[in-house]
Amino acid sequence: MSGIHVQDLGKRFGDRVAVEALSFHVRSGEVFGLLGPNGAGKTTTVRMLTGLLQPTEGEATVWGHRVDRDGEPLRKVVGLLTEQPGLYDRLTARENLRFFMKLHELDEAAAWPRARHYLERFGLGGREEEPVGGFSKGMRQKLAIVRTLVHDPKVIFLDEPTSGLDPESARTVRDAVAELASEGRTIVLCSHNLAEVERLCERVAVVKRRLLAMGPVRELRHAGQALEVRVEGEAERFRVALAQLPFAPNVLAEGPKLRVMLADDAQAPDVVACLVGAGARVHSAVPTQRPLEEVYLELLREGRG
Amino acid sequence: MAFRPKRALAVFWKDFLDLRKNVGLLVSMMVLPAVMVLVPIGVVWTYVRTPDHADLRSVALFYDPTLPLGASAARFLIDKTLTDWFGMFLVMPVFVPILIASQSVAGEKERRTLEPLLASPVTAAELVTGKSLAALVPSVAITWTAFVVFCVGVDIVAWPLVKMPLMPNALWTFGVFVIAPLFAFFGNGVAVLISARVSEARMAQQLSALVVLPIVGMVGGQVAGVLKAGFGYYLLQGAVVLVLDALLLWASIRLLDRERLVSRWG
Ligand SMILES: Nc1ncnc2c1ncn2[C@@H]1O[C@H](COP(=O)(O)OP(=O)(O)OP(=O)(O)O)[C@@H](O)[C@H]1O
Ligand SMILES: [Mg+2]
Repeated sequence: MSGIHVQDLGKRFGDRVAVEALSFHVRSGEVFGLLGPNGAGKTTTVRMLTGLLQPTEGEATVWGHRVDRDGEPLRKVVGLLTEQPGLYDRLTARENLRFFMKLHELDEAAAWPRARHYLERFGLGGREEEPVGGFSKGMRQKLAIVRTLVHDPKVIFLDEPTSGLDPESARTVRDAVAELASEGRTIVLCSHNLAEVERLCERVAVVKRRLLAMGPVRELRHAGQALEVRVEGEAERFRVALAQLPFAPNVLAEGPKLRVMLADDAQAPDVVACLVGAGARVHSAVPTQRPLEEVYLELLREGRG
Repeated sequence: MAFRPKRALAVFWKDFLDLRKNVGLLVSMMVLPAVMVLVPIGVVWTYVRTPDHADLRSVALFYDPTLPLGASAARFLIDKTLTDWFGMFLVMPVFVPILIASQSVAGEKERRTLEPLLASPVTAAELVTGKSLAALVPSVAITWTAFVVFCVGVDIVAWPLVKMPLMPNALWTFGVFVIAPLFAFFGNGVAVLISARVSEARMAQQLSALVVLPIVGMVGGQVAGVLKAGFGYYLLQGAVVLVLDALLLWASIRLLDRERLVSRWG
Protein backbone atom coordinates (compact mmCIF):
# COMPACT_ATOMS: atom_id res chain seq x y z
CA MET A 1 0.00 0.00 0.00
CA SER A 2 1.65 3.19 -1.13
CA GLY A 3 1.08 6.73 0.06
CA ILE A 4 0.40 8.04 3.52
CA HIS A 5 -2.80 7.43 5.42
CA VAL A 6 -3.40 9.35 8.61
CA GLN A 7 -6.50 8.68 10.72
CA ASP A 8 -7.44 10.66 13.86
CA LEU A 9 -3.79 11.02 14.76
CA GLY A 10 -3.03 12.75 18.04
CA LYS A 11 -0.12 13.42 20.36
CA ARG A 12 -0.12 14.81 23.84
CA PHE A 13 2.90 15.61 25.95
CA GLY A 14 1.69 15.33 29.52
CA ASP A 15 -1.48 17.39 29.43
CA ARG A 16 -0.39 19.57 26.52
CA VAL A 17 -2.10 18.53 23.32
CA ALA A 18 0.31 19.07 20.40
CA VAL A 19 -1.78 17.41 17.68
CA GLU A 20 -5.33 16.13 17.74
CA ALA A 21 -7.79 14.40 15.42
CA LEU A 22 -5.58 14.79 12.38
CA SER A 23 -6.67 12.88 9.28
CA PHE A 24 -5.33 13.14 5.77
CA HIS A 25 -4.15 11.06 2.89
CA VAL A 26 -1.17 11.66 0.62
CA ARG A 27 -1.04 9.88 -2.74
CA SER A 28 2.07 8.35 -4.16
CA GLY A 29 4.00 10.96 -6.13
CA GLU A 30 2.19 13.86 -4.56
CA VAL A 31 3.75 16.92 -2.98
CA PHE A 32 1.72 17.64 0.12
CA GLY A 33 2.08 20.73 2.27
CA LEU A 34 1.59 20.99 6.01
CA LEU A 35 1.01 24.64 6.61
CA GLY A 36 0.71 26.15 10.04
CA PRO A 37 2.10 28.75 12.44
CA ASN A 38 4.79 28.15 15.07
CA GLY A 39 3.77 25.49 17.53
CA ALA A 40 1.02 24.16 15.24
CA GLY A 41 2.29 20.61 15.59
CA LYS A 42 3.94 20.21 12.17
CA THR A 43 7.20 18.86 13.53
CA THR A 44 5.36 16.64 15.99
CA THR A 45 3.27 15.23 13.13
CA VAL A 46 6.33 14.55 11.01
CA ARG A 47 8.08 12.91 13.96
CA MET A 48 5.12 10.61 14.43
CA LEU A 49 5.05 9.75 10.73
CA THR A 50 8.76 8.88 10.74
CA GLY A 51 8.51 6.71 13.84
CA LEU A 52 10.40 9.08 16.14
CA LEU A 53 7.45 9.73 18.43
CA GLN A 54 4.65 7.35 19.34
CA PRO A 55 1.20 8.76 18.63
CA THR A 56 -1.03 8.86 21.69
CA GLU A 57 -4.17 8.59 19.57
CA GLY A 58 -5.22 7.35 16.16
CA GLU A 59 -3.11 5.60 13.62
CA ALA A 60 -1.15 6.19 10.46
CA THR A 61 0.55 4.15 7.79
CA VAL A 62 3.39 5.23 5.53
CA TRP A 63 3.93 2.98 2.55
CA GLY A 64 1.97 0.30 4.32
CA HIS A 65 4.02 0.49 7.51
CA ARG A 66 2.21 1.29 10.74
CA VAL A 67 4.01 4.22 12.35
CA ASP A 68 3.36 2.95 15.87
CA ARG A 69 4.98 -0.45 15.50
CA ASP A 70 6.84 -0.95 12.19
CA GLY A 71 9.64 1.44 13.16
CA GLU A 72 12.51 -0.21 11.37
CA PRO A 73 10.94 -1.00 7.97
CA LEU A 74 9.24 2.40 8.14
CA ARG A 75 12.50 4.27 8.59
CA LYS A 76 13.99 2.43 5.64
CA VAL A 77 11.45 3.91 3.24
CA VAL A 78 11.31 7.45 4.62
CA GLY A 79 13.79 10.28 4.44
CA LEU A 80 13.54 13.07 6.99
CA LEU A 81 15.04 16.50 6.64
CA THR A 82 14.90 17.74 10.21
CA GLU A 83 14.35 21.35 11.21
CA GLN A 84 18.06 21.63 12.03
CA PRO A 85 20.47 20.09 9.54
CA GLY A 86 22.09 18.05 12.33
CA LEU A 87 25.43 17.39 10.63
CA TYR A 88 28.65 16.33 12.31
CA ASP A 89 30.83 19.43 12.11
CA ARG A 90 34.18 17.76 12.53
CA LEU A 91 33.47 15.22 9.81
CA THR A 92 33.73 16.02 6.13
CA ALA A 93 30.72 16.11 3.86
CA ARG A 94 31.72 12.73 2.48
CA GLU A 95 32.05 11.21 5.95
CA ASN A 96 28.66 12.57 6.96
CA LEU A 97 27.04 10.93 3.95
CA ARG A 98 29.02 7.74 4.39
CA PHE A 99 27.77 7.38 7.93
CA PHE A 100 24.18 7.37 6.77
CA MET A 101 24.96 4.97 3.94
CA LYS A 102 26.37 2.61 6.56
CA LEU A 103 23.35 3.07 8.82
CA HIS A 104 21.15 2.10 5.90
CA GLU A 105 23.49 -0.80 5.13
CA LEU A 106 23.84 0.37 1.55
CA ASP A 107 26.36 -0.86 -0.93
CA GLU A 108 28.49 2.27 -0.93
CA ALA A 109 29.78 1.76 -4.46
CA ALA A 110 26.20 1.79 -5.68
CA ALA A 111 25.02 4.62 -3.44
CA TRP A 112 27.75 7.14 -4.25
CA PRO A 113 26.73 7.96 -7.82
CA ARG A 114 23.32 9.10 -6.61
CA ALA A 115 24.82 11.10 -3.74
CA ARG A 116 27.33 12.66 -6.12
CA HIS A 117 24.57 13.57 -8.54
CA TYR A 118 22.76 15.56 -5.85
CA LEU A 119 25.98 17.09 -4.54
CA GLU A 120 26.70 18.38 -8.04
CA ARG A 121 23.15 19.50 -8.48
CA PHE A 122 23.30 21.56 -5.28
CA GLY A 123 26.65 23.08 -6.07
CA LEU A 124 28.51 21.08 -3.44
CA GLY A 125 30.57 19.13 -5.95
CA GLY A 126 34.26 19.30 -5.08
CA ARG A 127 33.58 20.24 -1.45
CA GLU A 128 33.19 16.65 -0.23
CA GLU A 129 36.49 16.54 1.60
CA GLU A 130 35.92 19.68 3.66
CA PRO A 131 34.77 19.53 7.28
CA VAL A 132 31.13 20.51 7.43
CA GLY A 133 31.89 22.94 10.27
CA GLY A 134 33.15 25.37 7.65
CA PHE A 135 30.01 25.25 5.51
CA SER A 136 27.54 28.11 5.24
CA LYS A 137 23.96 27.68 6.44
CA GLY A 138 22.69 27.11 2.91
CA MET A 139 25.40 24.57 2.13
CA ARG A 140 24.59 22.67 5.31
CA GLN A 141 20.93 22.59 4.49
CA LYS A 142 21.67 21.30 1.00
CA LEU A 143 24.03 18.66 2.34
CA ALA A 144 21.35 17.62 4.82
CA ILE A 145 18.95 17.19 1.89
CA VAL A 146 21.48 15.00 0.10
CA ARG A 147 21.81 12.96 3.29
CA THR A 148 18.03 12.57 3.34
CA LEU A 149 18.24 11.05 -0.14
CA VAL A 150 21.17 8.63 0.19
CA HIS A 151 18.91 5.60 0.57
CA ASP A 152 16.56 6.65 -2.22
CA PRO A 153 13.53 6.99 0.11
CA LYS A 154 10.00 6.48 -1.14
CA VAL A 155 8.65 9.34 0.98
CA ILE A 156 10.52 12.47 1.92
CA PHE A 157 9.54 14.64 4.86
CA LEU A 158 10.96 18.13 4.67
CA ASP A 159 10.54 20.13 7.87
CA GLU A 160 10.91 23.79 6.95
CA PRO A 161 13.65 23.27 4.39
CA THR A 162 14.17 26.97 3.73
CA SER A 163 13.82 28.50 7.17
CA GLY A 164 16.75 30.70 8.07
CA LEU A 165 18.19 30.75 4.57
CA ASP A 166 18.89 33.87 2.57
CA PRO A 167 16.65 34.36 -0.48
CA GLU A 168 19.18 32.91 -2.88
CA SER A 169 19.86 29.76 -0.87
CA ALA A 170 16.17 29.39 -0.19
CA ARG A 171 15.62 29.50 -3.90
CA THR A 172 18.16 26.78 -4.69
CA VAL A 173 16.62 24.62 -2.02
CA ARG A 174 13.13 25.27 -3.43
CA ASP A 175 14.35 24.45 -6.93
CA ALA A 176 15.83 21.26 -5.55
CA VAL A 177 12.52 20.30 -3.95
CA ALA A 178 10.73 21.02 -7.22
CA GLU A 179 13.20 18.76 -8.96
CA LEU A 180 12.64 15.97 -6.48
CA ALA A 181 8.92 16.39 -7.05
CA SER A 182 9.41 16.13 -10.79
CA GLU A 183 11.18 12.82 -10.22
CA GLY A 184 7.84 11.56 -8.97
CA ARG A 185 8.77 11.37 -5.32
CA THR A 186 6.22 11.62 -2.57
CA ILE A 187 7.00 14.66 -0.49
CA VAL A 188 5.52 16.13 2.65
CA LEU A 189 6.64 19.71 3.11
CA CYS A 190 6.18 21.54 6.40
CA SER A 191 6.26 25.25 6.18
CA HIS A 192 4.82 28.51 7.32
CA ASN A 193 5.91 30.12 4.10
CA LEU A 194 2.83 30.53 1.95
CA ALA A 195 4.61 31.36 -1.27
CA GLU A 196 6.71 28.25 -0.92
CA VAL A 197 3.75 26.00 -0.30
CA GLU A 198 1.85 27.62 -3.11
CA ARG A 199 4.68 27.08 -5.53
CA LEU A 200 5.63 23.53 -4.57
CA CYS A 201 2.58 21.74 -3.26
CA GLU A 202 -0.37 20.27 -5.06
CA ARG A 203 -2.45 20.04 -1.93
CA VAL A 204 -2.06 21.56 1.50
CA ALA A 205 -3.40 20.92 4.95
CA VAL A 206 -3.65 23.98 7.13
CA VAL A 207 -3.06 22.86 10.68
CA LYS A 208 -3.07 24.44 14.07
CA ARG A 209 -3.05 21.57 16.49
CA ARG A 210 -5.89 20.12 14.43
CA LEU A 211 -6.79 20.27 10.77
CA LEU A 212 -8.33 23.62 9.78
CA ALA A 213 -8.65 23.11 6.04
CA MET A 214 -7.33 20.87 3.35
CA GLY A 215 -7.40 20.81 -0.41
CA PRO A 216 -5.60 21.82 -3.56
CA VAL A 217 -4.05 25.25 -3.24
CA ARG A 218 -6.40 26.47 -5.97
CA GLU A 219 -9.45 25.37 -4.02
CA LEU A 220 -8.30 26.96 -0.84
CA ARG A 221 -8.04 30.21 -2.69
CA HIS A 222 -11.49 29.58 -4.08
CA ALA A 223 -12.81 29.08 -0.58
CA GLY A 224 -11.47 32.52 -0.04
CA GLN A 225 -13.37 34.50 -2.60
CA ALA A 226 -14.69 37.91 -1.88
CA LEU A 227 -16.96 40.45 -3.45
CA GLU A 228 -15.55 43.93 -3.76
CA VAL A 229 -18.31 46.48 -3.75
CA ARG A 230 -17.99 50.22 -4.32
CA VAL A 231 -20.79 52.32 -2.89
CA GLU A 232 -21.40 56.02 -2.65
CA GLY A 233 -20.18 57.58 0.59
CA GLU A 234 -18.84 55.80 3.65
CA ALA A 235 -19.16 52.04 3.26
CA GLU A 236 -18.91 51.50 6.99
CA ARG A 237 -22.60 52.29 7.62
CA PHE A 238 -23.75 49.18 5.66
CA ARG A 239 -21.92 46.79 7.89
CA VAL A 240 -24.91 46.30 10.20
CA ALA A 241 -27.24 45.53 7.33
CA LEU A 242 -24.86 42.93 5.92
CA ALA A 243 -24.59 41.27 9.32
CA GLN A 244 -28.35 40.55 9.08
CA LEU A 245 -27.79 38.26 6.08
CA PRO A 246 -28.45 34.57 6.83
CA PHE A 247 -24.80 33.71 6.09
CA ALA A 248 -23.45 36.70 8.08
CA PRO A 249 -20.33 37.32 6.02
CA ASN A 250 -17.11 38.83 7.27
CA VAL A 251 -16.86 42.39 6.05
CA LEU A 252 -14.02 44.86 5.66
CA ALA A 253 -14.95 48.48 5.02
CA GLU A 254 -12.56 51.12 3.85
CA GLY A 255 -13.75 54.48 2.52
CA PRO A 256 -16.32 53.76 -0.16
CA LYS A 257 -15.12 50.16 -0.56
CA LEU A 258 -16.53 47.04 1.01
CA ARG A 259 -14.90 43.68 0.93
CA VAL A 260 -17.39 40.93 1.67
CA MET A 261 -16.02 37.42 2.22
CA LEU A 262 -18.09 34.72 0.56
CA ALA A 263 -18.27 31.00 1.02
CA ASP A 264 -19.94 30.58 -2.32
CA ASP A 265 -20.44 32.51 -5.61
CA ALA A 266 -24.19 32.21 -5.20
CA GLN A 267 -24.13 34.59 -2.25
CA ALA A 268 -23.05 37.56 -4.39
CA PRO A 269 -26.55 38.61 -5.58
CA ASP A 270 -27.85 38.47 -1.99
CA VAL A 271 -25.10 40.82 -0.88
CA VAL A 272 -25.92 43.32 -3.62
CA ALA A 273 -29.65 43.05 -2.94
CA CYS A 274 -29.07 43.58 0.76
CA LEU A 275 -26.96 46.67 0.15
CA VAL A 276 -29.51 48.13 -2.24
CA GLY A 277 -32.26 47.35 0.25
CA ALA A 278 -30.32 49.26 2.88
CA GLY A 279 -30.25 52.29 0.61
CA ALA A 280 -26.81 51.95 -0.88
CA ARG A 281 -26.03 53.30 -4.33
CA VAL A 282 -23.86 50.53 -5.76
CA HIS A 283 -21.30 51.62 -8.38
CA SER A 284 -19.67 48.28 -8.93
CA ALA A 285 -19.54 44.75 -7.51
CA VAL A 286 -16.55 42.67 -8.56
CA PRO A 287 -15.85 39.12 -7.46
CA THR A 288 -12.18 38.68 -6.51
CA GLN A 289 -9.96 35.95 -5.22
CA ARG A 290 -8.38 36.72 -1.91
CA PRO A 291 -4.68 36.27 -1.54
CA LEU A 292 -3.83 32.94 0.07
CA GLU A 293 -2.34 34.80 2.97
CA GLU A 294 -5.67 36.33 3.87
CA VAL A 295 -7.43 32.97 3.64
CA TYR A 296 -4.75 31.42 5.77
CA LEU A 297 -4.88 34.07 8.45
CA GLU A 298 -8.64 33.85 8.57
CA LEU A 299 -8.47 30.08 8.93
CA LEU A 300 -6.10 30.53 11.81
CA ARG A 301 -8.40 33.10 13.44
CA GLU A 302 -11.36 30.77 13.12
CA GLY A 303 -9.33 27.89 14.44
CA ARG A 304 -8.15 29.74 17.49
CA GLY A 305 -8.59 28.03 20.84
CA MET B 1 13.57 -5.72 15.74
CA ALA B 2 16.72 -7.57 14.91
CA PHE B 3 20.06 -6.35 16.16
CA ARG B 4 22.21 -5.50 13.14
CA PRO B 5 25.92 -5.47 14.11
CA LYS B 6 26.73 -3.52 10.94
CA ARG B 7 24.69 -0.55 12.11
CA ALA B 8 26.25 -0.67 15.57
CA LEU B 9 29.65 -0.72 13.89
CA ALA B 10 28.65 2.25 11.73
CA VAL B 11 27.95 4.23 14.92
CA PHE B 12 31.28 3.09 16.34
CA TRP B 13 33.05 4.08 13.12
CA LYS B 14 31.51 7.56 13.13
CA ASP B 15 32.16 8.23 16.82
CA PHE B 16 35.71 7.00 16.61
CA LEU B 17 36.36 9.20 13.58
CA ASP B 18 34.82 12.14 15.39
CA LEU B 19 36.93 11.47 18.50
CA ARG B 20 40.12 11.42 16.44
CA LYS B 21 39.28 14.88 15.14
CA ASN B 22 38.28 16.26 18.54
CA VAL B 23 41.58 17.71 19.67
CA GLY B 24 40.17 19.31 22.82
CA LEU B 25 38.75 16.04 24.06
CA LEU B 26 41.90 14.13 23.14
CA VAL B 27 44.02 16.51 25.18
CA SER B 28 41.77 16.26 28.24
CA MET B 29 41.79 12.48 27.81
CA MET B 30 45.59 12.35 27.86
CA VAL B 31 46.08 14.44 31.01
CA LEU B 32 44.70 11.75 33.29
CA PRO B 33 46.91 8.86 32.08
CA ALA B 34 49.93 11.13 32.25
CA VAL B 35 49.23 11.93 35.92
CA MET B 36 48.38 8.31 36.69
CA VAL B 37 51.74 7.17 35.37
CA LEU B 38 54.06 10.00 36.41
CA VAL B 39 52.94 10.44 40.03
CA PRO B 40 53.71 6.89 41.26
CA ILE B 41 56.97 6.81 39.31
CA GLY B 42 57.92 10.04 41.08
CA VAL B 43 57.02 8.57 44.48
CA VAL B 44 59.02 5.39 43.83
CA TRP B 45 61.92 7.54 42.71
CA THR B 46 61.96 9.48 46.02
CA TYR B 47 62.11 6.25 47.98
CA VAL B 48 64.91 4.93 45.79
CA ARG B 49 66.90 8.14 46.11
CA THR B 50 67.03 8.09 49.95
CA PRO B 51 66.52 4.44 50.89
CA ASP B 52 68.21 4.86 54.25
CA HIS B 53 66.37 7.93 55.46
CA ALA B 54 65.34 7.28 59.05
CA ASP B 55 61.85 8.73 58.58
CA LEU B 56 61.03 6.09 55.96
CA ARG B 57 61.16 3.48 58.67
CA SER B 58 58.68 5.32 60.89
CA VAL B 59 56.30 5.72 57.94
CA ALA B 60 56.62 2.03 57.15
CA LEU B 61 56.00 1.09 60.79
CA PHE B 62 52.86 3.22 60.77
CA TYR B 63 51.43 0.94 58.09
CA ASP B 64 52.92 -2.30 59.36
CA PRO B 65 54.14 -2.37 62.98
CA THR B 66 55.34 -5.95 62.44
CA LEU B 67 57.92 -4.92 59.83
CA PRO B 68 61.10 -6.92 60.67
CA LEU B 69 64.13 -4.93 61.75
CA GLY B 70 66.33 -6.06 58.89
CA ALA B 71 63.74 -5.36 56.15
CA SER B 72 64.25 -2.37 53.84
CA ALA B 73 61.69 0.29 54.66
CA ALA B 74 62.11 1.79 51.19
CA ARG B 75 61.36 -1.52 49.55
CA PHE B 76 58.33 -1.98 51.79
CA LEU B 77 57.01 1.48 50.89
CA ILE B 78 57.63 0.93 47.20
CA ASP B 79 55.60 -2.27 47.30
CA LYS B 80 52.88 -0.55 49.28
CA THR B 81 52.78 2.36 46.83
CA LEU B 82 52.46 -0.01 43.89
CA THR B 83 49.66 -1.93 45.58
CA ASP B 84 47.78 1.18 46.71
CA TRP B 85 48.19 3.03 43.46
CA PHE B 86 46.28 0.42 41.54
CA GLY B 87 43.15 1.68 43.32
CA MET B 88 43.90 5.17 42.02
CA PHE B 89 44.81 3.86 38.59
CA LEU B 90 41.25 2.51 38.31
CA VAL B 91 40.01 6.09 38.13
CA MET B 92 41.35 6.17 34.56
CA PRO B 93 39.27 3.35 33.06
CA VAL B 94 36.20 4.85 34.77
CA PHE B 95 36.80 8.44 33.85
CA VAL B 96 37.95 8.23 30.23
CA PRO B 97 34.76 6.50 29.01
CA ILE B 98 32.76 9.11 30.92
CA LEU B 99 34.54 11.86 28.97
CA ILE B 100 33.91 10.12 25.66
CA ALA B 101 30.40 8.78 26.22
CA SER B 102 29.02 12.06 27.60
CA GLN B 103 30.28 13.83 24.51
CA SER B 104 28.94 11.24 22.15
CA VAL B 105 25.45 10.75 23.60
CA ALA B 106 24.50 14.10 25.15
CA GLY B 107 26.64 15.76 22.47
CA GLU B 108 24.35 14.36 19.77
CA LYS B 109 21.41 16.05 21.44
CA GLU B 110 23.26 19.27 22.08
CA ARG B 111 24.30 19.55 18.46
CA ARG B 112 20.89 18.41 17.20
CA THR B 113 22.31 15.42 15.34
CA LEU B 114 20.27 12.88 17.27
CA GLU B 115 17.05 13.41 15.37
CA PRO B 116 18.37 12.58 11.88
CA LEU B 117 20.25 9.68 13.44
CA LEU B 118 17.10 8.28 15.04
CA ALA B 119 15.22 8.75 11.78
CA SER B 120 17.58 6.18 10.24
CA PRO B 121 16.95 2.45 10.69
CA VAL B 122 19.40 2.19 13.61
CA THR B 123 17.77 0.81 16.77
CA ALA B 124 18.31 2.13 20.30
CA ALA B 125 20.23 -1.03 21.19
CA GLU B 126 22.54 -0.69 18.18
CA LEU B 127 23.09 2.96 18.93
CA VAL B 128 23.99 2.33 22.56
CA THR B 129 26.24 -0.58 21.59
CA GLY B 130 28.10 1.42 18.95
CA LYS B 131 28.53 4.38 21.27
CA SER B 132 29.64 2.18 24.16
CA LEU B 133 32.24 0.51 21.97
CA ALA B 134 33.45 3.92 20.85
CA ALA B 135 33.97 4.85 24.51
CA LEU B 136 35.27 1.50 25.76
CA VAL B 137 37.79 0.61 23.08
CA PRO B 138 39.82 3.85 23.41
CA SER B 139 39.55 3.80 27.21
CA VAL B 140 40.82 0.27 27.56
CA ALA B 141 43.53 0.90 24.96
CA ILE B 142 44.65 3.99 26.86
CA THR B 143 44.61 2.12 30.17
CA TRP B 144 46.72 -0.70 28.76
CA THR B 145 49.16 1.67 27.10
CA ALA B 146 49.48 3.65 30.32
CA PHE B 147 50.09 0.36 32.15
CA VAL B 148 52.96 -0.55 29.83
CA VAL B 149 54.55 2.90 30.25
CA PHE B 150 54.01 2.65 34.01
CA CYS B 151 55.73 -0.77 34.23
CA VAL B 152 58.73 0.39 32.23
CA GLY B 153 59.01 3.64 34.20
CA VAL B 154 58.76 1.98 37.62
CA ASP B 155 61.29 -0.69 36.69
CA ILE B 156 63.78 1.89 35.45
CA VAL B 157 63.61 4.12 38.55
CA ALA B 158 63.45 1.21 41.01
CA TRP B 159 66.36 -0.72 39.45
CA PRO B 160 69.21 0.92 41.43
CA LEU B 161 67.60 -0.23 44.68
CA VAL B 162 65.90 -3.53 43.93
CA LYS B 163 68.06 -4.78 41.04
CA MET B 164 65.13 -6.70 39.55
CA PRO B 165 61.98 -5.85 37.64
CA LEU B 166 59.08 -5.14 40.02
CA MET B 167 56.47 -4.74 37.35
CA PRO B 168 54.34 -6.18 35.90
CA ASN B 169 53.31 -8.10 38.96
CA ALA B 170 50.38 -10.50 39.30
CA LEU B 171 48.07 -7.98 40.99
CA TRP B 172 48.54 -5.30 38.36
CA THR B 173 48.38 -7.69 35.42
CA PHE B 174 45.17 -9.26 36.62
CA GLY B 175 43.81 -5.88 37.66
CA VAL B 176 44.55 -4.10 34.42
CA PHE B 177 43.32 -6.85 32.14
CA VAL B 178 40.31 -8.04 34.13
CA ILE B 179 39.21 -5.47 36.70
CA ALA B 180 39.93 -2.29 34.67
CA PRO B 181 37.63 -3.29 31.77
CA LEU B 182 34.85 -3.91 34.31
CA PHE B 183 35.38 -0.41 35.66
CA ALA B 184 35.40 1.00 32.12
CA PHE B 185 32.07 -0.70 31.45
CA PHE B 186 30.74 0.89 34.62
CA GLY B 187 31.90 4.41 33.75
CA ASN B 188 30.46 4.09 30.28
CA GLY B 189 27.14 2.73 31.50
CA VAL B 190 26.70 5.58 33.97
CA ALA B 191 27.59 8.19 31.36
CA VAL B 192 25.25 6.71 28.74
CA LEU B 193 22.30 6.55 31.13
CA ILE B 194 22.86 10.06 32.43
CA SER B 195 23.48 11.44 28.94
CA ALA B 196 20.15 10.06 27.83
CA ARG B 197 18.41 12.15 30.47
CA VAL B 198 20.21 15.49 30.18
CA SER B 199 20.62 17.70 27.15
CA GLU B 200 24.16 18.98 27.56
CA ALA B 201 27.41 17.07 27.32
CA ARG B 202 29.01 19.14 30.05
CA MET B 203 26.24 18.40 32.52
CA ALA B 204 26.37 14.69 31.67
CA GLN B 205 30.12 14.72 32.24
CA GLN B 206 29.89 16.48 35.58
CA LEU B 207 27.14 14.27 36.93
CA SER B 208 28.78 11.07 35.74
CA ALA B 209 32.14 12.10 37.12
CA LEU B 210 30.70 11.90 40.63
CA VAL B 211 31.10 8.11 40.48
CA VAL B 212 34.87 8.66 40.66
CA LEU B 213 34.51 9.98 44.22
CA PRO B 214 34.00 6.63 45.99
CA ILE B 215 37.08 5.25 44.21
CA VAL B 216 39.21 8.19 45.32
CA GLY B 217 37.68 7.90 48.80
CA MET B 218 38.79 4.28 49.07
CA VAL B 219 42.33 5.19 48.08
CA GLY B 220 42.19 7.85 50.79
CA GLY B 221 41.26 5.10 53.23
CA GLN B 222 44.25 3.07 52.09
CA VAL B 223 46.63 5.98 52.57
CA ALA B 224 45.14 6.68 56.00
CA GLY B 225 45.87 3.08 56.88
CA VAL B 226 42.18 2.30 57.45
CA LEU B 227 41.85 0.03 54.43
CA LYS B 228 44.48 -2.51 53.56
CA ALA B 229 44.73 -3.03 49.82
CA GLY B 230 45.77 -6.33 48.31
CA PHE B 231 44.71 -8.91 45.77
CA GLY B 232 41.57 -9.93 47.66
CA TYR B 233 40.62 -6.30 48.25
CA TYR B 234 40.73 -5.45 44.54
CA LEU B 235 39.02 -8.70 43.65
CA LEU B 236 36.16 -7.66 45.91
CA GLN B 237 36.00 -4.23 44.24
CA GLY B 238 35.93 -5.97 40.86
CA ALA B 239 33.11 -8.26 41.99
CA VAL B 240 31.05 -5.32 43.25
CA VAL B 241 31.55 -3.45 39.99
CA LEU B 242 30.63 -6.57 38.03
CA VAL B 243 27.28 -6.63 39.81
CA LEU B 244 26.83 -2.90 39.17
CA ASP B 245 27.67 -3.52 35.50
CA ALA B 246 24.95 -6.13 35.27
CA LEU B 247 22.48 -3.69 36.85
CA LEU B 248 23.49 -0.93 34.44
CA LEU B 249 23.07 -3.21 31.46
CA TRP B 250 19.65 -4.23 32.68
CA ALA B 251 18.69 -0.59 33.28
CA SER B 252 19.94 0.49 29.84
CA ILE B 253 17.95 -2.20 28.08
CA ARG B 254 14.85 -1.21 30.00
CA LEU B 255 15.26 2.55 29.87
CA LEU B 256 16.79 3.40 26.53
CA ASP B 257 14.14 3.34 23.87
CA ARG B 258 13.93 5.86 21.09
CA GLU B 259 11.14 7.88 22.59
CA ARG B 260 13.05 8.35 25.82
CA LEU B 261 16.10 9.53 23.95
CA VAL B 262 13.83 11.97 22.17
CA SER B 263 11.85 13.15 25.18
CA ARG B 264 14.20 16.02 25.90
CA TRP B 265 13.85 17.63 22.51
CA GLY B 266 12.85 21.25 22.70
N1 LIG C 1 9.13 16.84 23.31
C1 LIG C 1 8.15 17.68 23.65
N2 LIG C 1 7.73 17.77 24.92
C2 LIG C 1 6.73 18.61 25.25
N3 LIG C 1 6.07 19.40 24.38
C3 LIG C 1 6.43 19.36 23.10
C4 LIG C 1 7.49 18.50 22.65
N4 LIG C 1 7.63 18.67 21.32
C5 LIG C 1 6.72 19.59 20.96
N5 LIG C 1 5.98 20.01 22.02
C6 LIG C 1 4.88 21.00 21.98
O1 LIG C 1 3.99 20.63 20.97
C7 LIG C 1 3.49 21.77 20.27
C8 LIG C 1 3.76 21.62 18.78
O2 LIG C 1 5.14 21.75 18.53
P1 LIG C 1 5.79 21.49 17.11
O3 LIG C 1 7.25 21.60 17.27
O4 LIG C 1 5.27 20.22 16.55
O5 LIG C 1 5.23 22.70 16.26
P2 LIG C 1 5.66 23.20 14.81
O6 LIG C 1 4.42 23.34 14.03
O7 LIG C 1 6.72 22.33 14.25
O8 LIG C 1 6.23 24.65 15.12
P3 LIG C 1 7.43 25.46 14.43
O9 LIG C 1 6.86 26.16 13.25
O10 LIG C 1 7.82 26.43 15.49
O11 LIG C 1 8.50 24.49 14.09
C9 LIG C 1 4.19 22.96 20.90
O12 LIG C 1 3.29 23.52 21.84
C10 LIG C 1 5.38 22.37 21.60
O13 LIG C 1 5.73 23.13 22.71
MG1 LIG D 1 8.55 22.64 13.60
